[in-house]
Amino acid sequence: MTLAGAVEVLKAQAVVPADDEQAPLSGCFAADLMSDVLAFGREGSLLITGLATDQAIRTAAIKHLVAVVIIEGKPVHSDLVETACEENVPVYQTPLSKYEACGLLMQAGLRPYRKGTATD
Amino acid sequence: MDTRRLAHHEFPILGRAYFLGGRASTSVKQVLREAGVDDAAIRRIAVACYEAEMNVVLHARSGYMAVDIYPDRVTIAVIDKGPGIENVDLAMTPGWSSATDEARALGFGAGMGLPNIREQADAMDIRTAKGDGVQLFLTFKREVTDDGAPPTGDSGTRG
Repeated sequence: MTLAGAVEVLKAQAVVPADDEQAPLSGCFAADLMSDVLAFGREGSLLITGLATDQAIRTAAIKHLVAVVIIEGKPVHSDLVETACEENVPVYQTPLSKYEACGLLMQAGLRPYRKGTATD
Repeated sequence: MDTRRLAHHEFPILGRAYFLGGRASTSVKQVLREAGVDDAAIRRIAVACYEAEMNVVLHARSGYMAVDIYPDRVTIAVIDKGPGIENVDLAMTPGWSSATDEARALGFGAGMGLPNIREQADAMDIRTAKGDGVQLFLTFKREVTDDGAPPTGDSGTRG
């Protein structure tokens, strides 16, 4: 699945759009705890999170994630946008809950990551 | 162990400056890239540095991160002026945390910081006492080519 595909499934709006929405996603990880993302997130994957702070962006940059999707239409502050532009991390916003977002992406074939190895 | 130090950098960390949390680690990534450190090592170092930096931001008054680059390794020292850790063994236990609600609101404080750092580093030494700050010393091995020399420039290695 590409980032554009995930954006469509999630009915997401771009806050900081990706230069290339056709970028392939290696998988997906959903978390509000950035330590979990730092420990288990994988390069090339999508992050679904309810954490609309700079730390979500910096975590995504450090783990080389493709994009961050903020759930439940949570407001995104200008500081976050500034950091996302600086770090070159695309940010999207979906009205869906985390459960719905994950469920739809799984159904659409995007594979999950968990501790250890990725599941196929 | 190769004792030739190729570069030394220091980056300040401000306690409670949540909006700056992660900047020192981003700078570390940058200098490692410029020094030609392999991507796999940079990824491990960046994760450990970010966790360590957030520990300083969330718990201490101030601190700094020092990076030393050697041909075969990178060492990181994270030194802070803060409350210190009373029981290191407890702090190393996944899930144990003394973090505030403020820290949790930033997505940290789940008790995974030190365990995550230990997971990423090849060696870790922590010196601390209650009221005496924390001194964290980390060593990361670099990828070394067959002739014993570190790769120069961006090796393009993917780990």
